[in-house]
Amino acid sequence: MKISTRLSLAATLLALAACQKQEDTIKIGLAGVQTGTDAAIGTAPINGSKLAIEEWNAKGGVLGKRIEAVVRDDEGKPKTANAVAQELVSAGVVAVVGHFNSGCSVPASEIYDQAGIVQVTPASTNPKLTERGFQRTFRACGRDDQQGIVAAGFLRDSLKTEIVAVLNDKTAYGQGISEVFKKTFEGKGGKVPVFEGVASEEKDLRGVIANIVKSGATAVYWGGMFVQGGVLYNQLREAGFKGALVGGDGLFDNEFHKTTQGKADSVFLTFGPDFNSLPSAQGFLKSYRAKYGPEGSYSIYGYDATNALLAAIQKAGTTDGAKVAAALRSQSWKTLAGEIAFDAKGDLKSAGYVMWTAKGGKFVPR
Amino acid sequence: MLQVLINGLARGSVYALVALGYTMVYGILGMINFAHGEVFMLGMFGAVFGIGLCTTLFGSHLVLNLVLGLVLAVAFASGWGWANERIAYRKLRGANLLAPLSSAIGLSIVLQNFVMLAVTKGKVDFPHYYSDTLTKTFWTIGSARVTLLQIVMFASTGILCLGLWWLIQKTRMGTALRATAQDRTAAALMGIPVDKTISRTFVLGSALAAVAGMMVGMYQGVLAFDSGYAVGLKAFTAAVLGGIGNIPGAVLGGFVIGLAEDLTSSTLGSDWKQTTGFVILILVLVLRPRGILGERVSDKV
Repeated sequence: MKISTRLSLAATLLALAACQKQEDTIKIGLAGVQTGTDAAIGTAPINGSKLAIEEWNAKGGVLGKRIEAVVRDDEGKPKTANAVAQELVSAGVVAVVGHFNSGCSVPASEIYDQAGIVQVTPASTNPKLTERGFQRTFRACGRDDQQGIVAAGFLRDSLKTEIVAVLNDKTAYGQGISEVFKKTFEGKGGKVPVFEGVASEEKDLRGVIANIVKSGATAVYWGGMFVQGGVLYNQLREAGFKGALVGGDGLFDNEFHKTTQGKADSVFLTFGPDFNSLPSAQGFLKSYRAKYGPEGSYSIYGYDATNALLAAIQKAGTTDGAKVAAALRSQSWKTLAGEIAFDAKGDLKSAGYVMWTAKGGKFVPR
Repeated sequence: MLQVLINGLARGSVYALVALGYTMVYGILGMINFAHGEVFMLGMFGAVFGIGLCTTLFGSHLVLNLVLGLVLAVAFASGWGWANERIAYRKLRGANLLAPLSSAIGLSIVLQNFVMLAVTKGKVDFPHYYSDTLTKTFWTIGSARVTLLQIVMFASTGILCLGLWWLIQKTRMGTALRATAQDRTAAALMGIPVDKTISRTFVLGSALAAVAGMMVGMYQGVLAFDSGYAVGLKAFTAAVLGGIGNIPGAVLGGFVIGLAEDLTSSTLGSDWKQTTGFVILILVLVLRPRGILGERVSDKV
């Protein structure tokens, strides 16, 4: 009897302690790909988010409480993303900054929506994410329909290309962006004789390259990521193909230049304007590099998304998902990328894409 | 068309080399070594590290470092193959067949995660200095191109297959190997060191996988901890297709799958590439349950 009383007392105390601990912090989930070939590009926004959270904590946290980052790796796989989303929800996060891959963000968003928590993706560009009427899903970057249009316009109008071969990696991102590109490019009177998908783990692309060479295409549009993109570039040149390789934001990582030895020429991609050279971003970049090494293309997006989210929680005065979402929509937010504001769908009101090109082992605005 | 055949044969030669490892282990133990794809992946990493080491030690000698890198890769992967057998299979030799099967799958997960945690979560580039000479030297036949690397791949697969045939048919070790495959108990009674012979089979299969790994490392240019999965799966399919346990069958199966994949991407489009190998496998297994050249029945797994 005595023992059981003591035990239950201990249990109650423990439970109380647990409760108290829970109420002391506000948990923010950070999810994205951190292993596999996308690891380099996917870890960058997570590090950006971590930095934002640290800065908020240094200033006293949000709603008077310390912010705790709960980081999860979805391995870039939709199935793992579902499991990760459920884990985050049961860990009691009040909002999530993530995921990276569109193929992960789309299924995970359903879980967050049902749990009533806000999701802000720093990098998923597939339009579907914000097209399903979810009130708590936000996107702090551009969309593939904007991206594909800019790329198609560039190839058709600036480079005067007539025939383009379109490849994608069969993911939600790759397929989405290459379909938009194909539609726009054909709408402008161009021809797309090759429109094919290769599995994202496939690194011997010589089969499809033989089809491209045979088709008479003078440029290749790649809807996919940078590792396969680099391999594609090398193998295209190996096959004697001299035309341009054009891609989307997935191509934007320094690892691309390692694979192509910094010698890539006539490689173009669509990405947001160059924020890293803005004077306002220099402080962020300095502390980022000190902590995590060289920044990635999406570091700044993770940082901005997290700052906007935390500011919205502060403004809402609560962690209730619906109220935070309303607060996020209610005004524009000052970020490193300038003033950003979300529309009714949860997309950025103005997200411009510009063309970047590879030069001397780096991507620079064209 | 010629280009498609060249690409398909190059792919097939890799599948053939890896399939040999599956089929030899099956032939002797009657189990599928699911960690074999991982040994292939370790061979890739072994080659990159070996070449890196040689470059540091001897400077950038192209041929010398490639050869030494290959030797180190083979030694590294063979060591793993030998260790895998000692760690995961030997203790389970008398056990129910599902036991070594599960430990093989477990081992494959352990090895992948080991490389992921110990080496890198992302990708590694094969040293360009070495792969470039092989991929950028090419000859033109009509409208098709064949690179030096592709020729090296055909040649080394051919030489290794002949060497393996000679080893198995003409040497004492080969006789021991065949005897162990036929009847382990009888072989032991005849004074054949069964455990040693089995270890040698693993070492031999792993060495072939390492050669394939190094060539694929150069052929693709990049490698990662999960690079062994896809090739392992295709090579396993190739081994079953040719008739598992049958050595010429594995080579034939490898070339059939490699060619089928590239022919599919040139006719139906590369979206269908992954499917054809398996469609062929199903058709062959329906019509010839023992595989194309099969002798042994795969009734165990």
